[in-house]
Amino acid sequence: MEKFAKTIYRFRWGIIITVFILTALAGFQVKNLKINSDIISTLPDDDPHASLLKDVGEKFGGNKIGMVILETDDIFKTEVLEHVRQITEMIGLMDGISSVTSLTNILDIRSGEDGLEVGKLIDEYDIPETEEALEELKNKTLSSDLYKGVIVSEDATATIIIFTLLEDADVESVAQAVIEKTTALELPENIYYAGSPMLVTAISDLIAADLIRLIPISFVVIALVLFLGFRSKRGVILPLLTSAVAIIWTMGLMAMAGYHMTMISNNIPILLLAIGSAYAIHVLNRIAQVRESEPERVLIIALTYILPPVALAAVTTMIGFVSFIFGAYLTMIRDFGLFTALGTMFSAILSLVFIPAVVAVLQKKKTNPSINPYKEKRSYLSEFILAPLRILLFKHPWYLFSAWMLLILISAGGIFLIKRNVNIQDYFRPGNPARIAEQIMEKKFGGTKPIFVVFTGDMQNPEVLNTMLRTQEHMQKSPDVLTTQSVADLIVQLSAGLGEGENIPDDQDKIEQLWFLIDGNEMLDRLVTEDLTEGIIISKFISSDDKVKEAFGVYMEKFISENSTEECKIRITGMPFIDVTMSTSLLRSQVGSLSIAIVFVIIIVGLIIRSLFRGLLATIPMVAAIIILFGFMGFAGIPLNIATVLVASVVLGIGIDYSIHVMSNFNFWINFGEDIHKAIEDTIMISGKAIVINVISVTAGFLVLLFSEMVPLQYFGLLIGFSMLASGLAALTLLPVILILINRKHTFQKR
Amino acid sequence: MKKIKIVTILLLALCSMGLHAQTATEILRKTDEVMYSPKDQSADVKIILTDKRGNRQEREARYIQQGSDKRLFKFTAPASQRGIAFLSLPDDVIYIYLPAYEKERRIASHVKNQSFAGTDFSYDDMESKPLAEEYDPVLISQTDEVWKLKLVPKPGTQSDYSRLEMEIGKDNLYMRKVEYYDRGGQKMKQLENRKLKKINGYWTATEIEMRDLQREHSTLFISNNILFDSNLSDDEFTVRRMKQ
Repeated sequence: MEKFAKTIYRFRWGIIITVFILTALAGFQVKNLKINSDIISTLPDDDPHASLLKDVGEKFGGNKIGMVILETDDIFKTEVLEHVRQITEMIGLMDGISSVTSLTNILDIRSGEDGLEVGKLIDEYDIPETEEALEELKNKTLSSDLYKGVIVSEDATATIIIFTLLEDADVESVAQAVIEKTTALELPENIYYAGSPMLVTAISDLIAADLIRLIPISFVVIALVLFLGFRSKRGVILPLLTSAVAIIWTMGLMAMAGYHMTMISNNIPILLLAIGSAYAIHVLNRIAQVRESEPERVLIIALTYILPPVALAAVTTMIGFVSFIFGAYLTMIRDFGLFTALGTMFSAILSLVFIPAVVAVLQKKKTNPSINPYKEKRSYLSEFILAPLRILLFKHPWYLFSAWMLLILISAGGIFLIKRNVNIQDYFRPGNPARIAEQIMEKKFGGTKPIFVVFTGDMQNPEVLNTMLRTQEHMQKSPDVLTTQSVADLIVQLSAGLGEGENIPDDQDKIEQLWFLIDGNEMLDRLVTEDLTEGIIISKFISSDDKVKEAFGVYMEKFISENSTEECKIRITGMPFIDVTMSTSLLRSQVGSLSIAIVFVIIIVGLIIRSLFRGLLATIPMVAAIIILFGFMGFAGIPLNIATVLVASVVLGIGIDYSIHVMSNFNFWINFGEDIHKAIEDTIMISGKAIVINVISVTAGFLVLLFSEMVPLQYFGLLIGFSMLASGLAALTLLPVILILINRKHTFQKR
Repeated sequence: MKKIKIVTILLLALCSMGLHAQTATEILRKTDEVMYSPKDQSADVKIILTDKRGNRQEREARYIQQGSDKRLFKFTAPASQRGIAFLSLPDDVIYIYLPAYEKERRIASHVKNQSFAGTDFSYDDMESKPLAEEYDPVLISQTDEVWKLKLVPKPGTQSDYSRLEMEIGKDNLYMRKVEYYDRGGQKMKQLENRKLKKINGYWTATEIEMRDLQREHSTLFISNNILFDSNLSDDEFTVRRMKQ
């Protein structure tokens, strides 16, 4: 240990310069970091639903469908239709767009007086103008399953312009262009944007806005807390600098390794700010406590004491994050775990190497090193919080202990009230245009959650087409499926148009010839593959209730297992099914990553303190804080979602540090030959100060997330802030109380 | 004095512009003449469709045309499409015959910007209307071999295209290449006439390729047994004959 400190002292300038260069290099990479908020791309390939969904997206362009919603009192007015035509034409002409479908260009098959018409519902060059013509169009549109609820709402107050992006298109720039150009038309109708490309873009914008807005705020907040705690420039600047460097390294590494920012990794900077500043605080605090004049001796004494607990804290925090890699369903959560763990490691290394180096450089210039800047100032914290706490602990240990037990018991009851929520629209704050758009889609167009039934077989075979029709009928019996679309519908329409009845011809020749009439139509590309060996039913699901989704899955699976054959293989996928898996996996990954983390934390802490029993004791405040956290979620109605599922493990990882500091400080004094009374007292007064400052700064840092544009992150911030308070409090009260109660006999004997 | 000079220059400029325009119109008119002057024509066509993944589909058809507004397209292969026929008559009357149904149906007229039988040609592209009737041409450049014209739809003409740019051979006044620009000014399709031959005194392309740049799809027409002015009778262009 002495060697380590001496090395740092000797190479202090080298360390500072190296950190500077590495930061510059990483900082250079950060600007290449891209944002990706496409949930589908973060679904794991080993889930059959997810891989089939990705497959459908590639083959039929199904995942890159955007919508412009036009809302007004009545769609069937000449000027409104003209506006629809304008938007349709404008989008159709944009780069990156593969097809556009709207009222003014949708395929229409009918048999008129002139004969079969395979044409368009509205002639874009001749939009109806008379009242009768508009009325006729309205009746025709609203009486057809192909249009009603698909492209025009049943009450004729909303219509959508659906566009598909090219496979290689840059989703965000296309979405941005759609919004910009549509806005530029200055149309009087209400315009909204929905569908995954638009949603992804909206989320990315929020992520970017959050990053730009929240990081500076949390820096300022944490700086303020640090200043109030330490009352010195160094105490503010060094922790912030260390965190900033760790953040830049981590994000630079993400960029270099080709990873993207997601709606989860979005909060990596804020997390690292909190974690990094914590380690720095402990190191600085310890250096300040050393009463030595020789700078090298200061480092040796301080590092000898602080290296084990900080390293241990970092390892346990990393365990909390690494546990996501094993427990999580979404790859973005795994990536988040990986990089926050790395960032934690950087923070610890910087705190233990960079900070002492900087201190050594600064210290040297001091003419009178014996003046301790921290010691000379009176601390309100020690006087008004820690000292009374110390007295309370020894006076009423049983009261304190019982109060904790009661709180834990009540909270445990709340756990059963926790709900789960994976609905993407709930990620937006109420009133956000993206959320309103999703609501309109849900109310008027049967939702936005796509369902695809994939058929593998000869798409011109009458049996396959009939099976498709039967599947559609079966689906539409569910109250949550408003419409279905498939190539079988088109064949039925063509057959009807020829006057051959509304059904699939029994003769394959006839089907092939009907096919000829629509061959080359864009609509076909979205329904069947070019080689005609695969086709899909496109549908949407209304309900956002996971139980309803699950029941629908069972309902469909039964039908599929009864109807899927060698010649016509049926599979189903879609967001509702992914939601169900995601939702169940939330619980599984919560339990999984938490238990992995707890077990490892006990083992590691036990190994370091050389007592498994004390390792177990150290985790008690954490377990208490986590139970209280879950209880709070249950009672407050905060759902488990892709962000809040992270809280418990993060709390375990960061919060365990408090216990570790308390335990190691306690151990230090006990091994020093002090009695339990003195050991606890010193622990509270020295570690307590660092812990309180840290709890306040971390909590404040995370509460900044309340200003986030995204609801899950708001909850995330609130919950972490809340549980940091709980775990800090537990480490400073519950843990000492337990130590006192266990050692009481021993103490009395000694006295 | 100065005034006169300016007026003269202006007049000269105007004249030369007029000359230019006239030249372009002249070229296009002559091209129309070269391309659409046969009284009738017939050919066996092989149609090769290629999608963006490189998958190919082949079809074969017999094609006859009289003047510029009567046309019969009858598929002969593959077996599933044998007998399917399209008959185009004046005034946008189009019939289709599906042998599996033994029935002919009229197809409505406002489908003309739709794909013709899965090819990259629209019904409109298939028509052989003289271009000078629908477009105003401007000569934009020329080389030793070709004139390059820009064709803008005449006011009031309904078109999916904002302009065409075409290369016309100086040797035979036959279209070599046409680029179709959409209403946003982006190139959407490209036609190439290849392997030009003089048959029965008329220049004709024995290979025509149309590429849809957005769908990354292409159609190649290879014509064989081309005949011109073989005095096809009006009788060939009837619904009755279409069904045979």
